[in-house]
Amino acid sequence: MIRTPWPRALALAASLLIVLGAAPPDTIVRPPKFDYKMTTLPNGLQVVLLEDHSTPIVHLAVWYHVGSKDEKPGRTGFAHLFEHLMFKGSKNVKPDQHPSWITSIGGEANAETDEDATIYWETVPAQHLPLVLWLEADRMASLDVSEDKFKTEREVVKEERRMRYENQPFGRLPEIIFDKAFTTHPYKHQTIGSMADLEAASISDVRAFYRTYYVPNNATAVLVGDFDSGEAQQLVQRFLGRVPPGKPVPREIPAEPPHRGESRVSVTEAWPLPAVVVSYHITYDGHPDAYPLHILAKILSDGDSSRLYKSLVYEKQIALAAFGEAKLIEHPNLFYAVAIVQPGHQPQEALRELDRQLELVRQNGVTADELNRAKRQFARDYILGRETVRQKALHLGHAVVIHNDIKSADGEFDLFQKVSLEDVQRVARTYFTPESRMLLTILPREAAAAGRP
Amino acid sequence: MHRSRLMLLLVALVLPALSGAQGWPSEGPPPPLAVHRVDFPDYQLRTLPNGLQVLVVPHHEQPSVSFRLLVGAGAVQEPADRPGVASMVASLLNQGTATKSAGEIATLIDSAGGILGVGSANELTSVYGAVIKDRTDLALALASDLVQHPAFPADEIALHRKQSLSALQVGYDDPDYLANAVFDRIIFGLHPFGRPNEGTPQSIERITQSDLAAFHRTWFVPNNALLAIVGDVTVEEGFAAAAQAFGNWERRSVPEITLPTPPVAARRVVVIDRPGSAQTEIRVGHLAIPRTHPDYIAFDLAIRILGGEGANRLFGVLRSDRGLTYGASADFHAFRSSGDVEAETNTRTSGTGESLRLMVDEFARLRRELVHPAELRGAQDFMAGHFPLSIETPAAIAEQVLTRLFYGQSPSEIETYLDKVARVTPAEIQRVAREWLKPDQLSIVLVGDAATFVDQLKTMGFSEYERIPIADLDLDAPTLRRSPAGRAPAPGLPPA
Repeated sequence: MIRTPWPRALALAASLLIVLGAAPPDTIVRPPKFDYKMTTLPNGLQVVLLEDHSTPIVHLAVWYHVGSKDEKPGRTGFAHLFEHLMFKGSKNVKPDQHPSWITSIGGEANAETDEDATIYWETVPAQHLPLVLWLEADRMASLDVSEDKFKTEREVVKEERRMRYENQPFGRLPEIIFDKAFTTHPYKHQTIGSMADLEAASISDVRAFYRTYYVPNNATAVLVGDFDSGEAQQLVQRFLGRVPPGKPVPREIPAEPPHRGESRVSVTEAWPLPAVVVSYHITYDGHPDAYPLHILAKILSDGDSSRLYKSLVYEKQIALAAFGEAKLIEHPNLFYAVAIVQPGHQPQEALRELDRQLELVRQNGVTADELNRAKRQFARDYILGRETVRQKALHLGHAVVIHNDIKSADGEFDLFQKVSLEDVQRVARTYFTPESRMLLTILPREAAAAGRP
Repeated sequence: MHRSRLMLLLVALVLPALSGAQGWPSEGPPPPLAVHRVDFPDYQLRTLPNGLQVLVVPHHEQPSVSFRLLVGAGAVQEPADRPGVASMVASLLNQGTATKSAGEIATLIDSAGGILGVGSANELTSVYGAVIKDRTDLALALASDLVQHPAFPADEIALHRKQSLSALQVGYDDPDYLANAVFDRIIFGLHPFGRPNEGTPQSIERITQSDLAAFHRTWFVPNNALLAIVGDVTVEEGFAAAAQAFGNWERRSVPEITLPTPPVAARRVVVIDRPGSAQTEIRVGHLAIPRTHPDYIAFDLAIRILGGEGANRLFGVLRSDRGLTYGASADFHAFRSSGDVEAETNTRTSGTGESLRLMVDEFARLRRELVHPAELRGAQDFMAGHFPLSIETPAAIAEQVLTRLFYGQSPSEIETYLDKVARVTPAEIQRVAREWLKPDQLSIVLVGDAATFVDQLKTMGFSEYERIPIADLDLDAPTLRRSPAGRAPAPGLPPA
């Protein structure tokens, strides 16, 4: 590389003594480690406390280890629909009173559901810690949703599906990718679910789901902020500790069988421009290969000097946008790359170039400069992603619930910095195989009808 | 309540091992702990000899540094027939300078592991970035080069034009984008705030390199800019870094801006027909007061009660009570010279008329009825309680200071603001609502499958509306319609 920026040039000069062929070392300042305390209460609830006195606020996140991959056939979307119902009243809290209580003290509260977990959270001024623990305990122990509220909220969720997926260009893109790439594992469907399944859900499903998954032995409470850990631990025990335990949680999730051949899929959508996708089945979050796969995704997709942007958007100008992601979550998922095709260009041209870019990594690997760049970008994301109490809690909760290893909340920084050029090429060779490849083309409906590509 | 209790009991009889709700105590919430003291974090303000105002907010928790440069250059200063100039200037700042190509800029910032972004709005352009702290000088030097010496190379303009046209092709098929663009267009008319910031397909074709260079030369000067540096630096390091990177930026005089007066509010109902839509995007509102108006605080509270955090009547009526939407809100956008109030939601096509009627009724209710003191207190308590949450990150702290400076107010207002909010009374809310809300002059935009809902509009009392097929939409034309004979309004349609 001739266009070496000066910090890299200095680093290069300093590295002449290093073994030939090694990447120039790039020492990145290590962000501070979390000084957390973790316990498990007698009812099975896992508790993580992290004192952070920088601002007088506290954040509570309660994770339930249930997401859309736990849904049964015919009930897609249920884990998320259920999340909405957790705001619809419990023994001591009237419907919608939880969020209004939180806003009346200036706090924020919300919930999120994904494939693997459901998170309920509140950020409030520090003195209101007892209130948020009490609110979470009340709905963990005594949710009480009326049929009327259930039906109204189901309409809200259907509107959410219409808004996010059905009524905007490219809204259904993830739904199409995962539906076509998976045959068996419930990652085949999106967390929002299908309209028909939402319509089919009943109040008795709500009660069965609550009894099965919303038990302290399936939950993790993460508390970050301006508190004294001794006092906070007592409050957690006092409110969440008295929730009775439930039965062991069933985990009968069908595995995705190995894919035996490349699939080529073409569909039509009412979109303004064509989209093309290349995907491969990869491993799960926490697997040693996960770190080089993340690095590889950065090299392909993070910033204007990334390979996909440079090739498809900037140099060849065949795409309006091009990006890729290693979707590493609890069970094996996908590496995929997407291009939105520029008018005047053939979708096949963009698809070939996407495919070629992934193939190039498989054949030739990546450069030392690219690897260093990706590591710095990773370090930046790591640092900027740990600024707020909510972000800190998210990393701790993810480490406990998804990795089942709280040490990974800090340990991943070093794992990423240790990734080598060989690691990156090895994972590309391991996973970018013809057997697991899907080439997907999504054409605008009118263009397809008119016989144009 | 009674009914659901009964159901739970029935379920308990049939299904064993219910979650122990029977033994769960009946009780109220616990009292709070002792209040923790909230102080606005330290910050320092200085002005460089060239007029650049610099704000430094030290914050040493994480080893990173972020910065934001605001330049007083936005859509408001564009030539009337060149909407999109400010946005194109911003987008091209990092696509080539006198000494660096777009590729070199990308490699520099990406290799440093940094973020460098540009953006523009009605009244400002921003350049922002974040780096691990050992690359602070590199990132600031790069930002300084971008704002001082952009080259606007011909090939980058060509690529940007192509990208913008494709992006607009997507935008013109996106109900959310269209609803916002048409709403701004009908309430602000030919005022710069009525033009789409990203331009129109026609204007993007018209914009030349000399338009870009002239806009940049006129407005990108240090005495028309603010810089915030926040994060893991000391105050002195921050000012030294700012002076080193931006000290040689040359001061020049900035022309006065003369703006057309925004049009008088007049009801206009526009239906953009997008067949096959799963929802209707709805916007309702009209012009309002600027950020510097004496009624700003009371009016802002009134709109928060209508549709903001801490109260939000629209959310309650549309979502919680009726399940008509996922989201409903109202925003008060206040600029230096003008402002607007805009309520928005999206709903299934069959709920279009009902949702619209409910939204308009809520505007009227705010004038008609005195707000209940508890409801007002809810909105006030939210703002007061939320203060410590709003100063959590150095960037959030900087934003509070920058906002004041940008609107020509003293940053010391941060400390008195909440006292002023707390003093607003229900009568004051009603006074500003009666003065500044005009339910009979609300403009309305509906983007959706017109055939499925226009009959509902008549039933709900909106008998007059303009129905524009999405393929005929022209945001440059007063009628909003593409007309075969240039821009002449079609006969029989109301003027803009």
